[in-house]
Amino acid sequence: MDFKTGLVGSSSSTDRELDLIIAGGGPAALSAALYAARYDIEHIVLESYQPGGQAALTALIENYPGIKTISGGDLVANMKEQAESWGAVFKMASVISAVPLKDRIQIKADSSTYMARSLIIATGAAPAKLGVTGEDKFYGRGVSYCATCDAPFFRNAHVLVVGGGDSAVKEALHLSEFVSELTLVHRRDKFRAEPYLAEKLLSCGNCNVMWNTTLKEIKGDEGVQSVILNTPEGEKELELDGVFMYVGRKPATEPFSKLVELNENGTVKTHEIVRTSKENAFAAGDVTDNELRQVVTAVSDGARAASAVFDMLQ
Amino acid sequence: MAVKHIMGNEIEDAASVTDKISLVDFSATWCGPCKMLDPVLRNVSDDLADTVEFYHIDVDENPEASSKFCIRGVPTMIVFHGGQEIDRMVGFKDRNALQTQLEGLAESKLTR
Repeated sequence: MDFKTGLVGSSSSTDRELDLIIAGGGPAALSAALYAARYDIEHIVLESYQPGGQAALTALIENYPGIKTISGGDLVANMKEQAESWGAVFKMASVISAVPLKDRIQIKADSSTYMARSLIIATGAAPAKLGVTGEDKFYGRGVSYCATCDAPFFRNAHVLVVGGGDSAVKEALHLSEFVSELTLVHRRDKFRAEPYLAEKLLSCGNCNVMWNTTLKEIKGDEGVQSVILNTPEGEKELELDGVFMYVGRKPATEPFSKLVELNENGTVKTHEIVRTSKENAFAAGDVTDNELRQVVTAVSDGARAASAVFDMLQ
Repeated sequence: MAVKHIMGNEIEDAASVTDKISLVDFSATWCGPCKMLDPVLRNVSDDLADTVEFYHIDVDENPEASSKFCIRGVPTMIVFHGGQEIDRMVGFKDRNALQTQLEGLAESKLTR
């Protein structure tokens, strides 16, 4: 490691040269930070968008080996504390752009510019919008993408959950503890979620599942009052108080589009799990095109990426 | 500048200011993104002290105010000028995004 942290160059007093920048704040970034710190790689973690990532907004995680149940917020807080105890360095800043500059990567984040020998992209993904009428208008007024954050506002209410994957079912189960009635609509005739979760939802007393059904429109005045659904029996209006969307994720990769190749869906093209089209840029977690997107795979990616950086810097 | 903690009955006064715009942050102690937003608000309140007043209100301590302003998620930031709601932002915002948004609102509402 022959590069030292410090001010370099004459063009900008904020340019800092480091061995590694880790962009992101979720499990993939936190794991990369832990390994980078233990490898003694000079680095900074630029936490952006949502510290703790999507995992921080998950009510309960039950499939992280070694921990029976834990809230997502507690799990990522523990990860960060562990990384910091090994010397990981965090800075709250959003990456605006990352471009190649000779054999380095120039990273602009808020008002600072960094030069790094390597980069780990672990910026995660944000909930995708469905794009239906009323979705934007009622966001924060009954439309939500985070049951963990907003469930207490819907005590004894009737809510709709849209989606059929792990997130939709897991968050529906959390919501069902607050609401009087929960309707879940899924465009297919069976869940994509883990069978254990699916069975738990199907046996939940105040939950009702509508198969082969899609959300067409959200209606209301000050807040959500009803939704229009496309059901196998035709269009149907359902009166309710809130709509929770779990219809996929949008990877936060736009700042890296001039550095690495992206897939059509915006994920980073990877090979050997964490390697990208640029040899000194790596990707980990939900930004990648790896199929399984779980906390356990994100932390695995983070460790692999930090290890690959360590090997490259030798 | 700091973020002032207020109760529901103080919102009207906070919102009616005309020489600045006012941001009221509705949040909760159990909400992760709210905790993450706190340092962002402190930083932005320093940078925009001349044009924006910052207030914080706990939704659990003020259920009537939360209901009155139709708060169905936290954090929700409502921006007021002269007693009128001029913008509403839901969820965590990073420093750049929040500052840019508020600068635009202040420029459009305040005559310099």
